[in-house]
Amino acid sequence: MHTKKTRSWYLGHVSTGFMWFVLIAACVLVLIPLAFMFTASAMPARDILRLPYPWIPKGFYWPNFWNGIKGPEDDFIFFRNALNSLIVAGSVAFFTVVLSAITGYGLAKFKFKGRNLVFMLIMATMMIPFEAIMIPLYMVVMRMGLQDTYAGLILPFLANAFGVFLMRQYLITFPDEILDAARIDGAGEIRIFSSIVLPSSGPAIATLAILAFRSQWDSLLWPLLVVQSDEMKTIPLYITRYMAETHSDEGIMMAVAVLASLPMIVLFLTLSKYFVSKEGLTSATKG
Amino acid sequence: MRRRRGFSMERKKAMWGWLFVLPALVFFSAFSFYPIINAFYESFYNRNLLSLRPPRFVGWDNYTYLFRSKDFWLSVQNTAIFTLGTFIPLVLFSLLLAVCIMSIPRFRRFFQLSLYAPAVLSSVVAALIWLLIFDPRGLANQGMNALLGTSGVNYKWLSDTFMLRLSTIIVYFWKYIGYFTVLFVAGIGAIPYSLTEAALIDGANRWQLFWRITFPLLKPTTLLVSVMTMIQCLKTFSTQYLFSTSGAPTRPINVITLNIYNTAIKDYRIGRATAMSILLFLVMLVFTWLQLRLSRTEEVTFM
Repeated sequence: MHTKKTRSWYLGHVSTGFMWFVLIAACVLVLIPLAFMFTASAMPARDILRLPYPWIPKGFYWPNFWNGIKGPEDDFIFFRNALNSLIVAGSVAFFTVVLSAITGYGLAKFKFKGRNLVFMLIMATMMIPFEAIMIPLYMVVMRMGLQDTYAGLILPFLANAFGVFLMRQYLITFPDEILDAARIDGAGEIRIFSSIVLPSSGPAIATLAILAFRSQWDSLLWPLLVVQSDEMKTIPLYITRYMAETHSDEGIMMAVAVLASLPMIVLFLTLSKYFVSKEGLTSATKG
Repeated sequence: MRRRRGFSMERKKAMWGWLFVLPALVFFSAFSFYPIINAFYESFYNRNLLSLRPPRFVGWDNYTYLFRSKDFWLSVQNTAIFTLGTFIPLVLFSLLLAVCIMSIPRFRRFFQLSLYAPAVLSSVVAALIWLLIFDPRGLANQGMNALLGTSGVNYKWLSDTFMLRLSTIIVYFWKYIGYFTVLFVAGIGAIPYSLTEAALIDGANRWQLFWRITFPLLKPTTLLVSVMTMIQCLKTFSTQYLFSTSGAPTRPINVITLNIYNTAIKDYRIGRATAMSILLFLVMLVFTWLQLRLSRTEEVTFM
């Protein structure tokens, strides 16, 4: 309704120099640590802690990246750990979307006894912060014999109340006529879901998938609990292990930081609208 | 005839409805409902992670122990300091930045994305970058020395109690300022422009416009953002964990989650750790309930 109008400049069509100053200063301050990470990753350690900080690297210092990948024990376990991160974050994103879509669809488009109760129960889990149940959850996973496995890292995060909520809200406006028409044409319920409902939920799915992927890529606490072997470590654990074992070399640390952030930076630059969308924002409390 | 057919169609649909929600119910039961019920249960036992002896029922002992423990109260204090110290500046500055962004004619998206950029990094990477910046020879000391005109002063970012707490707050503030700015931008964008226009026609100046129109209408967003920040801050873990494992003193930044982790994993005291979790849960329950209520009222006022 107001979309066109609300884009008008707020505060009476005038921007003052003060506002530009505040914004530019804030951006510079916020981006300095990022610039530091990138420049330092290309410098040998002795340059990084020189006074004052040189800012512009003299050429690209490759050994940082090479050593960062080689790892503290020269076993190139970085690749395995990066793969673990991809597997875990990718599976959580994929299965969260599937499970949330199925559940959201069921809650939005089918009437059955107890539907409201089911919805309320699922919504109630939003009030349970992960940090409050991590120890019992850890015991559950241990009892299932899933410590140090992908399943142990993935399974606890598939039930995502926010995802169910998002999909339900999105699908509730889906026209019933289309579904009924497909039923009359003889399509089965699963077929209707997979070839009509799912393909038309693109934006909600993308928002949810990115959200789930990000929160897992970022996750430190749960892998710290569940993972024991170096082979099963994810990138955040690789970094903490590297920090503990080679305390000294700042250049390598920043190179590893750059490597760990690359997938997210690429996602951010290509899909920024799903990062800075309203749904994506109001949800991050979950992650 | 028709009626019967309709009835069976309805039953069929109901069955499919159940089938669609059933997998989720299984997952939520195993990984949400059971653990939280189990957490209450475990908090009354003295289970040891490594011991094979069956845990003994100890009643409220875990709780009374915690309420008498200085260590526990210190982490409560640390969490409170961190939460207040982070959320007040975060809300104020993100509101200020959002108002600035909405007041300029161009580059709005550019500023939003630049401010948001740190949120893209993982918290481990964020902590890593700032560990180097807070190094005695790092950028933080260089910046402070340039700013205050001192030379070669070490501000002890990672060793002094006050500075160390401030450092963790700075890391968090840096990471989330853009995120909350974008939330406020959305909030301001949702205010009908007709209201702003009417105020301007009535001759309101910018200051009046902000305090009389924008701010009152943004109240739901502000409340929501505040509660969301508080919830996030209460469960902060990564920064404190990484700072303490890389040599900074643990006591000033031993927040609740870090304490839970260490109690369970280093001291193997599951009962005590879950009791702490339950207390954290109860506090966060209040905040989350508030958040859910506020996000509902926000929709009503803006739609």
